[in-house]
Amino acid sequence: MSTLIIIDQPPYGSWEGREALDMAFSLAAFDQPVSLLFCDAGVNWLRKGQDAAKLPQKSIERNLAAAPIFGVEALLADSNACDQYGLAKADLLDHTSITDFGPELIDCFNHVAFAG
Amino acid sequence: MSSSLPEQTKTPAPAGVFTLVITGAPYSSQAPQTALHFARAALAADKRIDRVFLYGDGVHLASSLSTPPSDEPNLSEDWAAFLTENTIPGIACIASALRRGLIDKSEMQRYELPTSNLRAPFEIAGLGEWVDSTASRSRILYFHKGD
Repeated sequence: MSTLIIIDQPPYGSWEGREALDMAFSLAAFDQPVSLLFCDAGVNWLRKGQDAAKLPQKSIERNLAAAPIFGVEALLADSNACDQYGLAKADLLDHTSITDFGPELIDCFNHVAFAG
Repeated sequence: MSSSLPEQTKTPAPAGVFTLVITGAPYSSQAPQTALHFARAALAADKRIDRVFLYGDGVHLASSLSTPPSDEPNLSEDWAAFLTENTIPGIACIASALRRGLIDKSEMQRYELPTSNLRAPFEIAGLGEWVDSTASRSRILYFHKGD
């Protein structure tokens, strides 16, 4: 049973994205296959060089960098969103794959959940 | 929710057993009311609900202290009555709950807090409950706040 968790909200504005990340890590902890897709403003989660110290919040960059170690299978960035925010592969965290968010992608998963 | 969500072409699980995940808070979103309407309709159609999982802001639904004016629906009370009547487990995610001040007796003791406010029959448990639903044959429906 594979799960895709979709984050379409920008980082730091609310806790929804962080809590979606917890869902992904929790599935991985129970050895359930899980991937994360970032689309719309959510793609900004994947930017390199985030500094959230002044907010003050923990940088999500560190959390996301640990995702593959915890067993999250893929960090996916929607290509349209990358274009919209002017993000090239080099601007994104390592281990990120740029993909097209469409029915073909959705059909690869048994279960799809949005973050809030 | 994304406006560009592609339509799902395959049915993820047979629509016999449902798990409901509520992430929208009562009174700031319609999510708990919509979920309750769905839950009543599902049972009326001989479907089963194996679990209601409160996540994120949805945990506020489990508060025993919410006290709306008497001419407004008490969503926490309505949900608690529905769960009790139909013996459906209502679980609030522990991390979401503690972050937002939804506390049961054991967490009150653990963190030496002055009070607890979890409404029966809701219980506090981990995300493992939700993981269990994803690994089962239940169809999971999410009730978000919407934009």
